Amino acid sequence: MQPDTAATATDLSIELPRLQHVLSGLIPHDLVSFLDIWGGNILALGALILISILMTRACSRFTEVPGRLQNAAEAVVEALENILKDILGSSMHEFLPFLGTLFLFIFIMNLTGLIPMLHAPTSQFEITLSVAIVVFCYVQMVAIRKLGLIGYIDHLMSSPRDLMGWLMAPLMLFLHLVAELVRPISLALRLFGNITGEDALIAAFTGLGVMVLAATGSPVGLPLGLPFILLAILFSLIQAMVFTILSAVYIAQVLPPEGESHAKNPIKS
Amino acid sequence: MNYLSITLPLGVCVTALGSAIGLGLAVASAMKAVSRQPEAAGKIQIMLVVSCAFIEALTIYAVVVVFILQSKM
Repeated sequence: MQPDTAATATDLSIELPRLQHVLSGLIPHDLVSFLDIWGGNILALGALILISILMTRACSRFTEVPGRLQNAAEAVVEALENILKDILGSSMHEFLPFLGTLFLFIFIMNLTGLIPMLHAPTSQFEITLSVAIVVFCYVQMVAIRKLGLIGYIDHLMSSPRDLMGWLMAPLMLFLHLVAELVRPISLALRLFGNITGEDALIAAFTGLGVMVLAATGSPVGLPLGLPFILLAILFSLIQAMVFTILSAVYIAQVLPPEGESHAKNPIKS
Repeated sequence: MNYLSITLPLGVCVTALGSAIGLGLAVASAMKAVSRQPEAAGKIQIMLVVSCAFIEALTIYAVVVVFILQSKM
């Protein structure tokens, strides 16, 4: 790609070029520093607006024979339903709007990073952390609404009913509280690390492709980053799915037991 | 050049080794489970993805540490 990629690849900070730096001669300096700070947020906002417009248009006129947009939207919703059905059981439809929006939001944010010279908003820790905090607050809200405040504290103490249970209750309360507080950080770090690592991988191999041909004076490099860009599409999907499934598991854990379906939670911790 | 230039890659290497073993065990068991009971493939797949995410996360933490400490290298 650009010859400056090779220069940065030999430095230790491996990063693909940013749009505002490439255009820095054409646009005012204030705008460059503004985009350095807020570029990710603007992209995230753009992703939200894109989802809103697409989904509103897909839902505005339902027809018996679905058009292209409605067909795609239905396919996404059905795929999500199939995955979440096993985790959330019968209460799935209550949480599907939130989890589905979360999935689409993260997926589109991840994909934005594949547009040349744009960086995925999810490669900024602030943005993944804020999404994870939203999930954290939502889980607490669902827990208090479903179990009641007393019931939730009882749940956090592993429902002590006998002497042994009450003796263990303070320890269980502490462990559960720590687990609740660590979850958003672990969710955010997982998404941030994956997307950032992916970007660094693409940048490193693109730089390598330029360096290989640098001795011949060729203006372009070998497209060594291409396979990793294809891999990045797959990882974007998987990471968005993992984030959604983990949020669903966290919600499923605070739901009151409803017979058999509660016992199907895949992950207990 | 200080010790970080050796220890950071080494840290990722060791965590990746552990994650690789864990992922291998998890995927091998999932494969066995699917071949034994193909109709449960969907459920096993979801559990596999979630648990792989947990295992992968450990390596990712090491990579995050590398990103944080990279400026001091």
